[in-house]
Amino acid sequence: MSDPPSDRQAHHLLASATLACGADVDLLLEQVADGLGGDRDAHQRECVHCQAAIEEFSAVWGPVTELAGNPVPAPPGLTAAVMSQIRVLVRDVWYTLQTTNLGVIRIAARTVAALARDAAHTVPGVRVALGRSTHGGLATPAERATFGHHHPHAAVGVLGRTAVVDLAVAISYGDPVHEVARDIQRHVISSLRDNLGLQTITVNVTVDDTLADDGQ
Amino acid sequence: MQSKAEVGDTYLVARAREGYLDAYELLAQRHSAMAYRVALRLCGNHHDAQDLAQEALIAAWQNLDRFRADSSFHTWLYQIVTRRALNKLTRRRDTGSLDLLGDAADPSAEPAAQAERNFAVDAVTDALAALPFAQRAVVVLRHFEGLSYAEVAEVTHSSVPAVRSHLFRARRTLGTKLEEWR
Repeated sequence: MSDPPSDRQAHHLLASATLACGADVDLLLEQVADGLGGDRDAHQRECVHCQAAIEEFSAVWGPVTELAGNPVPAPPGLTAAVMSQIRVLVRDVWYTLQTTNLGVIRIAARTVAALARDAAHTVPGVRVALGRSTHGGLATPAERATFGHHHPHAAVGVLGRTAVVDLAVAISYGDPVHEVARDIQRHVISSLRDNLGLQTITVNVTVDDTLADDGQ
Repeated sequence: MQSKAEVGDTYLVARAREGYLDAYELLAQRHSAMAYRVALRLCGNHHDAQDLAQEALIAAWQNLDRFRADSSFHTWLYQIVTRRALNKLTRRRDTGSLDLLGDAADPSAEPAAQAERNFAVDAVTDALAALPFAQRAVVVLRHFEGLSYAEVAEVTHSSVPAVRSHLFRARRTLGTKLEEWR
């Protein structure tokens, strides 16, 4: 039998297709790169060539494993930048809350939707709540109500003090759906009326999932 | 927003397709680190990676109607990031150094040991940057992101044997470069 590879022979090993024992170099390197260098089969437990090659490849591949384990967090503000650009791409809707000689107070419908969503979250039994303000149920009434009048800074409608909010919610499995949904409507309407001064509020609730306690 | 950990991507994708922007915001929060990390490892520097991750997340939203329900959003986003990285590098023909270090330096390490580790990491960085894109992509997806061979094949629109073939070549090249550094 030939001598096993000495130290620093990875270069020589990597230039070969097989070891002296016939083991495939690519498969050994794959084994090491996949983190399985310690999981040796019966042959590898007896073979000095395989043992030396695995040790050598482990040393060579170590920095790759170390680098792969280094955390790379997302830059701060990445998600906010993405959502900001997306909101530019969608047609936004605005409510005019007040028009006086002091000026006009407007609030973006997506802000109304966010407040509605957060209010819905506080209702017992609600596990997830998502608010919608720029599509379907809101955008269409907004356009209809404003006869296509748009805010100058974006393609927006002005809807006065009337709000239509769509909420998609997932609730806890076993809770009475109709009661939770009615609680959501009452709570959201009360919250928007108290916090924003909106007068006529329609809250459409779609319960589209139920979640068990483990989240499934 | 509470409860973000309770719902799966499938639910959020469905709601995002119906126009719930905050559903997509949750998806973006959940996957932005991955998009940036892969972009950084594939295309080189922080600024390009940030732009690429942002473009990919916006492109994913714009193309939600093309998303296939039998795939995972995660895998789909890998596809978009990888394809866009290839396009960017092909346009620029830039195979310069990849900056993979991020903020990962261990402040508790001894200076000499830390310097040696940084040299090792730099060696990997340079060796990765020198790989052809296809080989770099499979190494990043398999050995940095931990995807299975089948997942790498799905992301790269390839086959498992082709992925393994690329990986065999890439590992030998990386191993040879890293051995020279030692």
